[in-house]
Amino acid sequence: MIPATAGDGQTAMGDRLILGIDLGTTNSLAAYMTEGGPVLIRDSSGEALVPSVLAFGADGSVTVGAEARAHAVENPLTTIYSVKRLMGRGIDDLQDAAAKLAYKLTAGPHGTVCVEVNGRRHTPQELSAMVLREVRRRSEDVLGREITEAVITVPAYFDDSQRQATRDAGRIAGLNVRRIVNEPTAAALAYGLDHASDSTIAVYDLGGGTFDVSVLKVTGGVFEVLATHGDTALGGDDFDHELVALITGEVRRQFGQELSFPPSTRQALRNFAEATKIRLSDEDRASVDVDLGSGRRFARTITRDEFERLIAPWIDHTLEHCRMAMGDAGLSPRDIDEVVMVGGSTRVPLVRRRVEEYFGRRCYTAINPEHVVALGAGVQGGILAGLRRDTLLLDVIPLSLGIETMGGAMGKLIMRNSTVPCQAGETFTTYADGQTAVDINVLQGERELARDCRSLGKFKLTGIPPMPAGFPRIHVTFLVDANGILNVSAREQRSGKAASVQITPAHGLTAEEVDRMVKDSFAHAFDDMTEHQLIDLRNESNRVLSAIEKALTEVGSVLSDEQRTSLNEAVAELKVKMEEDDPDALYDAMSAANDATAPLTGAQMDKVLRQTVKGRKLEEFEDDDPQRQEG
Amino acid sequence: MSTNQPALPPTDGTAPAKCSKCERPMSTPLVCDFCHALNPSAVGVDYFSLMSLPQRFDLTEEEIHDRFVTLNRHTHPDFHAGESPEAQSLSLKMSATINDAYRVLSDPASRGDYLLELLGGASSAEEKSVPEGFLDTMMMMQEEIADATAEGNTEELQRIREVLQTQHDGLMRRTAGLFADYEQAAACDYTRDDLLKELRRQLNAVSYVTKLISQTR
Repeated sequence: MIPATAGDGQTAMGDRLILGIDLGTTNSLAAYMTEGGPVLIRDSSGEALVPSVLAFGADGSVTVGAEARAHAVENPLTTIYSVKRLMGRGIDDLQDAAAKLAYKLTAGPHGTVCVEVNGRRHTPQELSAMVLREVRRRSEDVLGREITEAVITVPAYFDDSQRQATRDAGRIAGLNVRRIVNEPTAAALAYGLDHASDSTIAVYDLGGGTFDVSVLKVTGGVFEVLATHGDTALGGDDFDHELVALITGEVRRQFGQELSFPPSTRQALRNFAEATKIRLSDEDRASVDVDLGSGRRFARTITRDEFERLIAPWIDHTLEHCRMAMGDAGLSPRDIDEVVMVGGSTRVPLVRRRVEEYFGRRCYTAINPEHVVALGAGVQGGILAGLRRDTLLLDVIPLSLGIETMGGAMGKLIMRNSTVPCQAGETFTTYADGQTAVDINVLQGERELARDCRSLGKFKLTGIPPMPAGFPRIHVTFLVDANGILNVSAREQRSGKAASVQITPAHGLTAEEVDRMVKDSFAHAFDDMTEHQLIDLRNESNRVLSAIEKALTEVGSVLSDEQRTSLNEAVAELKVKMEEDDPDALYDAMSAANDATAPLTGAQMDKVLRQTVKGRKLEEFEDDDPQRQEG
Repeated sequence: MSTNQPALPPTDGTAPAKCSKCERPMSTPLVCDFCHALNPSAVGVDYFSLMSLPQRFDLTEEEIHDRFVTLNRHTHPDFHAGESPEAQSLSLKMSATINDAYRVLSDPASRGDYLLELLGGASSAEEKSVPEGFLDTMMMMQEEIADATAEGNTEELQRIREVLQTQHDGLMRRTAGLFADYEQAAACDYTRDDLLKELRRQLNAVSYVTKLISQTR
């Protein structure tokens, strides 16, 4: 498979297009399925990656992508990045992360986290939705059609809350999220299309902020995940941070411990560290030269050895996850036929070396590690659109699901690495006479005690018919769908009545909150459109004004007093409307000014025509061929 | 599309004869091999019938896996994504049931447990007895594990694990033999009851040994 560039004549198959989106910590991108295989969405310069960075302007405008990233140093407090690390997390989970981020985190409703920019709070879901909207817009531009359906990828080790948050972000971006797909599985799908032979593969996926390893068996178009492991808060960002910590530590030793780093310096150091990391992938040393102002300058050389010593513990950590995944799959490294490398951070030479050492074989890197997930998501979009029946994806749930039982223990109902969809049932009863509701605390994790697992929230079963204590038999079904997301339903078996389940998510948004954000995004979309329109109209008005000025100096003498007065009035009115925010009124004023210049335009035309005719010989004039003139 | 499907193995006759939609013969009660129409009444049959496998212990991992993949090729939600909400919900439930059936049947110990109860034997919650002398051996092993763990002696733990694994394999061989005897003893209910009781004891011992093995890691 050679991923081709969109716009070279390939078209998406069928009417139904389901866009595959890799929503990354550092970059996001999209692909779609064609008859020739999955194709990346690229901009006019051929770039597929959209930096997952948002820049908030003082006027409320939001820029997404490379431009937003370019201004991160000037505007550290209003440039938002690595939002993926916040998805589906609570404010309490993020104390460590908050210290490393240049922007401000605050508590959101019921323990969730929000990003505060210019005094306004944004949920991670809304911020991710802005990135998704940008990816969607670019894709629509390239494909020349509206896109409403998408597959979005997530780290395999994302828990239920993080998956739901991603799905909610898609909804807020106006997308019908047809499937949440695990990133390593998507990568395997893209890899597997090129490799017909049966094999057992390991996918090592080290992104900007997340790490996954998945072990899959690929046989005759069936992609079966045997086990997955990972860390949703470990990635290339951590390598950068090691370098930042090294530099800030030495700077303090040199210039004084009390030296503080303003947000813009911290942001500059972050960019610097990232550039150094990338340079050290190809070179043995990189020089660091930081101007700290007030005549203080920090300069030194960082060698690759030094960098590798700093990041080695992180890589050890990823290999520990590899060992656990292999153990769960019941395999040893020599059973693996291919190791597929995914994510930009796998470009770091030490990462490759250590992974190759562990598996005892060379890694597969033929598909760009930053593109492979999006390509696989495009394939999955094709499967869901009904374009491929020969490919079957059998994924697993990464973490066990259970409920809090008496005494605060975790009662597992669905074990990790179970193939999804999967289900389990449990029967509950009441402890008081006439009790009509039961609370269940649903947990996800591997630890024995409820308090060490992650609570997915309180599930309240209501509508139980009043009966003596211990008499009702409420059968609760926990169904994990193909997205790895839990659905709960309940039925009281003695009465046969369905009980309703109300969910208060522990680290996510309630259904009502998402609905409101979907509505808000439409409202903002309207604001955005108005804003856009105003900018265009103001630019157009400026052109009109300068044209009038030019015409007045050239042919102003042709105007009657009456014409001159009405033109002056129209110009004054236009200048007033340009200061206001009403696009319709501005348009009217601009049209009026244009109309008032009609006598001038006529006179100008005459003048130009006379000059043209004067400058040319008669035979040329007669010879004129409109077609030749165009050329 | 259906030309890509592997040929379906013959079944033990638990499948309905024809698809209610296209009237072609069905090899599984779950879904039509030809038109992919799902059969809602199939949810709730036992796992062997669901997978169109004979109701016996002696099955290979390959044949169970084959059925698991073949059935998922028809029922998986990916292939019903464009259909009505009812069809989608049915496909979700069926696929979940198949995955659960595969999980239970593919592991010999849990397959034995499941088959034992299906044949009318007691569950592990109802009947907790183990073969004679087994508990004494296990108490001894447990002490050895505790000592080795306290000393951090990984070599000793490795040795204990190997001993336990040998025990485990022996118990599974006896379990397979007892299930084979059960099939042979079709005519005699009395013998069958005894065999089921003995199977219960063997399988209880298997789960005990498995727990100890996990303690050696």
